[in-house]
This record gives sequence, structure tokens and C-alpha cells, in this order.
Amino acid sequence: MSARVRFIARRVAIGLVQLVGLVLAVFFLIRLMPADPAARLVGMNASPEALQAARHSLGLDRPILIQLADYVGLLGNPGVLQGYLGKSWSSGASVLTEIHQTLPITVELITLSFIGAFLVAFPIGMLCATRPGGLADRGTFIFSLFAGSQPEFWWGVLFIYIFFYLFNVAPPPLGRLDPLGTPPAVVTGFITIDSLLAWNFAALGDGLHHLMLPVATKVFVLSGPMIKMIRQNMVRALGSDYILYAESCGLPPRMIARYALRNSLAPALTLIGVLYGYVLGGAVLIETIFSLGGIGQYAVNAVLNFDYPAIEGVVLVITAVSLVVYLALDVVQVLLDPRVAG
Amino acid sequence: MRRLVTCLLFGALAVPTIQAARAESQLLYLTEDVPVSLDPDGPSSTVNTSQVGRINMLEPLIGYAMKGTNDEGIRIPDFTKYEGRLVESWDYDPESITWTLHLRHGVIGCSGNEFTADDVVYTLARAKSVTGATTIAWFSGSVAGIKGFTSDVFKGGDKSLGDAVTVVDPYTMKIKQGAPNAFFLMALSLHPIYMFDSKTMKAHSTPADPWSHDYANTESVAGYGPYCLERWVKGDEFVVHANAHYYRGKPPIDRIVMKKVPQGSNRVVTLRSGQAGLIQGLTPRDYAALRNTKGVTVGGVYGNEALFIAPDLKSPVWSNKLVREALAYGIDYAQVLQTGYVGQARKWDGLVPTSFPGSTKTLGQYVYNPEKAKQLLAQAGFPNGAGLEKYADDLKLTYAAERESTLGPVATVLQSSLRAVGFPIVLDPLPQSQMASRRMVKRDLPLALSDIDKAVAVDSIYDINLFFMTREAGGIVNTNNYSNPDLDALVLKARASLSADERLADAAKLQDMLAADLPWAPIAETRTQWAYTSKLSGLTWYPDNSLRWFDLTLAK
Repeated sequence: MSARVRFIARRVAIGLVQLVGLVLAVFFLIRLMPADPAARLVGMNASPEALQAARHSLGLDRPILIQLADYVGLLGNPGVLQGYLGKSWSSGASVLTEIHQTLPITVELITLSFIGAFLVAFPIGMLCATRPGGLADRGTFIFSLFAGSQPEFWWGVLFIYIFFYLFNVAPPPLGRLDPLGTPPAVVTGFITIDSLLAWNFAALGDGLHHLMLPVATKVFVLSGPMIKMIRQNMVRALGSDYILYAESCGLPPRMIARYALRNSLAPALTLIGVLYGYVLGGAVLIETIFSLGGIGQYAVNAVLNFDYPAIEGVVLVITAVSLVVYLALDVVQVLLDPRVAG
Repeated sequence: MRRLVTCLLFGALAVPTIQAARAESQLLYLTEDVPVSLDPDGPSSTVNTSQVGRINMLEPLIGYAMKGTNDEGIRIPDFTKYEGRLVESWDYDPESITWTLHLRHGVIGCSGNEFTADDVVYTLARAKSVTGATTIAWFSGSVAGIKGFTSDVFKGGDKSLGDAVTVVDPYTMKIKQGAPNAFFLMALSLHPIYMFDSKTMKAHSTPADPWSHDYANTESVAGYGPYCLERWVKGDEFVVHANAHYYRGKPPIDRIVMKKVPQGSNRVVTLRSGQAGLIQGLTPRDYAALRNTKGVTVGGVYGNEALFIAPDLKSPVWSNKLVREALAYGIDYAQVLQTGYVGQARKWDGLVPTSFPGSTKTLGQYVYNPEKAKQLLAQAGFPNGAGLEKYADDLKLTYAAERESTLGPVATVLQSSLRAVGFPIVLDPLPQSQMASRRMVKRDLPLALSDIDKAVAVDSIYDINLFFMTREAGGIVNTNNYSNPDLDALVLKARASLSADERLADAAKLQDMLAADLPWAPIAETRTQWAYTSKLSGLTWYPDNSLRWFDLTLAK
């Protein structure tokens, strides 16, 4: 077995242990919350009998270890081990179905935002690194401070006011499509992909149009730190001994730039990966502002409703997605720098 | 040109602006959420945005005649005059405490089935099965006093209808009550027991789910209402189209698109832009601001929503009536109305909503009077609040954190005015679930500020039964441990009386008893409001605060 394969296998094993640990921790921790989920379910006008019946229907009248065994799938009913995450207590629908509905919305938004931010940050960061202290560098510094000085929901609200309400160049913040239109059939949950699969270019255009402002808001906020990071890494790489050596050997500038870029990308990718997981779990503000019913809103509603299966499901899935992203980054790191695997 | 500007601004792909064809008879209705379940016994069935879905797809047996229109154009039902819906007429036999219902002929639902007595039997049997996540439909049957709809069903008792319901023929049936109960017709108007289309519901049952709860929670419900489901994406949108066969005539608006827009400011800005037709769930300040907007109407009603403080009557501080009176005199009502509601609320001088028949203003003497409050506090043994510091936990004013935008400013005003008379009040916002749990399960919340408790049946006796009767005697909510055996006995008597005059007299006596005990400090009656395009009319208030879309008309 090669060092690379051993490295990846080790990472997968660690990830699985983390996943199990987190699921158990969340299962017990949410049950320490000082509220009875059944009270929320039945409303303020319910009788004590109705409350007791609701508690029974949720299985909350059973010992906690029995609840855990049932959740995991050890009591004969399907559970996590069988790929079943239970039914939401606030909607009665399968948690997996609801996550399948909400996760692609957030993943699509975040992925497009990261691509956009990277496309903006990469050339600007490179430009700033080649002339530290220059006009572009100073301008970028001011932009980064400006964009990062206000929370993204504020920028979102401001953009809506300016581009929808004042100039009417953006659609109203009513979700992913015109609510009076007809959406394409759901296949993947990504509006762009589903529109293409359905050859529905009207829906594709409408979807992109509706994504424009939320993506622009995220790009605006994300690109600042990404530019700084790329610039710093490039400056460090360009000032390193091996670049000086390459220059003294008379290598062409394009080749020197490639060496510097390759070495500056590894830390940048790590940070992007960490940022991706962080932004995915915290997308609720931008989703709320633009009425995008993504996983962030789903998670917040689950917590506010004390919807244990939904909370557990969201944590499990978000953690799994983050672990996959980290794993993918580890693989890329190994490919970029084989010494990592050793 | 606009697209060019857009692309230049964002470096985005050039995208065509898609404007779907907008027929005049479509209404875009923006709300805080869309239905998360359509099952009356499903989760979240007590949440307004969930109720409104099934309310417009199903149909009640009984409704109310219209009384008229208020000064803002909102229609108000006459809650003393019942009107048949799926029931055409009814008879009552006091000897056998049995109601005979004569059902309407030729009512066709969205699935094409005709309404018959089997549907009533199915709906009531489903309610009594108590197989859903909640038991709200059973509760309505219990309020109606239908024989066998008692808490015995939770203790292994018979869950079948037994001889309580008898089908005479497809359009005639008899329903027997367990005891004389004046709430029968009123309860049949409540949305948790709107009628299902039993054939379609049964077609979606499974051996594990014989009452089709999964279908109602995740796919649809079948009934005889004015609208049929077209598309439902939880957390996003709920789209219905008119039932062409609806027995009261085809609804004036062909299609309703209910869209979740969590941010109140976005609902406002979309309405102002003319792209939405109807919005709700705003703060009083938002509604006030919209009143001056051209093309937008704000309409509302003083219905059954109110703001009050409920002190825990088992607390050593609040069990003392003098302290409760000091609280009532220490509230700066005018400041609350102005700061919290921008003048869109009025002082509440009773404990039953003013709009309810039989409501009386028994607490008008409690106006803002800091000196009187200090005097009462001193009489209670706490001169200038000295000694209250020992009861810090009892002086935490709790409200739902989710209601911060409305209740936050109100709580701050209350804290300020009550501190000035000697109450060292501390604000303690809690998540709604936690607050509900403390009030309903533990019943130990020392001082709750609430604006969400309301009776969904417009009846003074029912309201008092709901909030002030002890649970041991048959009360339902009573979250602050109020107990008055005389009141319990009188509610039981009034509940059984079928004489309207006698019940009104009893309601007045009950309110006098409450005024003498002062179990709550009522503060304000608040408006139930909507903002909508000026082309829209016909909005009607119902005590569940859900609009019936059949009532709406959209001018061309």
C-alpha cells in the first residue's frame, strides 16, 4: 500500500470516528435542553392529556438509552445504520427527504459563491503580490476592510434595497425562481442542473437571475479574506530561497510563477476548505435575507422547534459533507505536495 | 440595458429576466412560513401558517353568518348566528341530547367524490383515534361534547365512535353528546374538524398508517373546500388552484401562491413594488408605515389577540393580590401602546376579548397610577420594593425570544415603569418552545408576558373555561395556577346551558369573579392585521386568524 493510500485511509477512519462521536454527543446534548418538545408541538391551548399523548407519539416517554438504540436502528426499526434519519417532529416528513430538499439549495449557493470569490480573488491576489504596496495592493486592502467591516446580512439587505427596490435590476428576494412561474422537475435539487436536465433555459435564466444577488453578496464578503490570503502566500513564496535560486538560474518568469503558485496554493486550499464548511453551516443569514429555504434555515428552525431528529440529521449530514470536503482537500494536498503523505 | 448594467455590476452571466405570465386571478401571498403539515393532528398544526393550508382545502360542517364590515373594510362574522356549510340544517333533541344533521347534497371535492355522511363518520373517527402526532381534532370533538370524546381515550378507553354517531342515510346523521353542552355547533365550526373526503384519504392509507397521517403530513389532504393543491414544497411555497365544483361557486381568484419570505422587510418591499398581493406577520411599526403607501391597504380587526402578564399565583410574591394590583397600577399603558404598537392597540379593560359576545370591562379601574402602585406595594409589606430583592427569580419577566421585534420594546417599557414603582424586574426572553414548556408542563414561569394565547372560539364562557378554570375541574390551559372553585362550578353550569340569555348572565358573573381575583394583568388588545394591494377586497376575520381565500376578490 502506497504512502498516499495509507494517508487517505487513515483520514477516512479518523473522519468516521469523529462522525460517530459527534452524533452521540449531539444526541445526548440536545436532550439536556431545558424544554419539552411536546409542548411546542401541541400548542398553548392543549390539554394535559394531549400533551402526554404527544410525548408518547414522539417516544419521549422511553428511557434515553432505548431512544438512542432506536435512533441508531438496533431495535428492529430502521435507524441511522440503515440510512434512516427519522421523521421531523415539526413537519412529520422524513428528515432525509427534507435535507435532500434543502441541502442542494445551500450547496449551490455556497459553491457558486466560492467559485465567484476565487475567480475574483485569484487574479487580484496575484497582482497585489507582484507589487506589494502598489496602488492595486492598497486599493485591495481598503476593499477588504470595507467588505469585512459589516455583516453579510447587512450587505444583503442593502443590495436588495439598491438593486431590486431602487434600480429594479435584480428580482425580488423571493427564493430561487419567480414564484408565479413553473419550476423544473426536481432531480438533483440544484436549480441550475435541473433546469439544464429539463432543457428549460427559461428556468435556468430565472434561476441564475435569482441567484445573482445572494451570490454577489457572498462573493463581496468572501473575496476580501481570500485576496489577502492568496496575496500573503504568493508574497511569501516569491520571497523564498527556491524562487531566488530559480531566478538566479535564469528560469523564465512563467515557470518561476508556476513554482510560486503551486507552493502558495496548498495553504490557500486548506483555508478555503475550512471556510467552505464554516460558511455551509452558517448560511442561514443569507438564506433568510433572500428567502432561500436552505439547510441553514432548516437547522435553525429545527433548533427553535426542539426537533431532535432534524437537529441530529442536520449535524450528521453537515459533518459528513465537511469531512468529505476536508478529505478531498487532503487528497489535493498530497497531490500538490507528496511530503504531506509521509 | 438593465441586464447590461447588471452584468457589469456583478460580472455575472447575462441572464434573461423571466417574467412569468401573470394572470389577473393569481394572488401572490407572502408569509413567514408555508404549511409544514396539512394534518389537523399533525405536527405544527397549531401554527397559523400551517392551519391556513388545510383550512382552504377542507370545509366545515357549520359556519357563521356575516355581521358586516368594519371601518377598515374587514368583514366580521356574527358569532351568534350559525349558518350551515356542509350541513344544511340541524335539529336538537334535549331528551336524548342528540343532534340530527341534514347534510348538503351534491357537494363535490377536488378528487371528484361527493360528500356524504361517511365523510363525517371518517373525520370524527379519525379524530377519536388519537393516532396523530397531536390530538387537536380530538380536542375539538371534546369541546363539542360528543359522547366518548373524553380523556379516557388516552387511558386505554374505547377509541371507536360507538353509538355516538349514527348514519340514517347518506345525507342524514345523528350525533349524541355525553352531556348537555352549548359548545356543540361552535365546535363544529372549528378547523381541526373540517371534513375530509374519506374515499381519497382511505386510498392513501397503509396498514401501518390507517388514518393516512403520512399522506396528510407530506403530500396533501382531500376534502370539499374551495381550493385544490397544485404544488407544495415545505419551507418554500404552497400553491393551490380553485375547485371548479365548489358548492358555493367557483372562487373568484383562480390560483393562490403562498410563498415563504422569512424577512418581514422583504415582504414589505415586495408588496410596495407591486409584485405581491397580500402579506402578513409584520410588526405594528411596519403596518403603521405601510398605511401611508400608495396602492397598499392595511386592514385589521380587534379580534382575539391581546397582551397580558400572567404571574404565577403559587409564587410567594404573586399570590398576594395587593402585589398583583400594584403591578396593574404600575404599568404605563399609554407608553406601551405608543412604543410597542405605534397606536395600533388599545388598552384592555377586561379578561375576555372585547369582541366576544358577553365580554365586560371589569378592570377599567387599573390605569397607570405609580403612587397607588407604591402604596399597594407598601401595604403588601414591600415599601418602595424593599424586600423584593429576596425574590429575584419571581421578578423575571419572560417573553418569547422569537417575538423580540414586537415584545422587546414593550418589555423594556414595562421594566422601566415597574422599576419606577419598586419592582426590580429583569427581562428574561426565552425560546418559544422553552417558554411553552415552562408554562404548560411545569407551570412555574413566575411572570409571563404573552401575546399569543387566544381562544379560537368566540365565546366568553369557552374563553374562561380555557384560561381560568382549573385543570382538575375540566380547564384546559390555566398556565399560572389560578384556582377558584366557585368559578369552576359556574363554568360547568354555563357550559351546559343552552339559553343564550342565561349564558350571558353567567359570563358577566364569571368576569366579576375574575376581576375580584385579578389572575392576570391585562395590558392591551392588539390588532390582527394584513397589508395588501388596494385591488384586493373581501378579507374576513375568523378567530383562528387565517384568511379564507374564497372570500377574496382581486379587482382587474
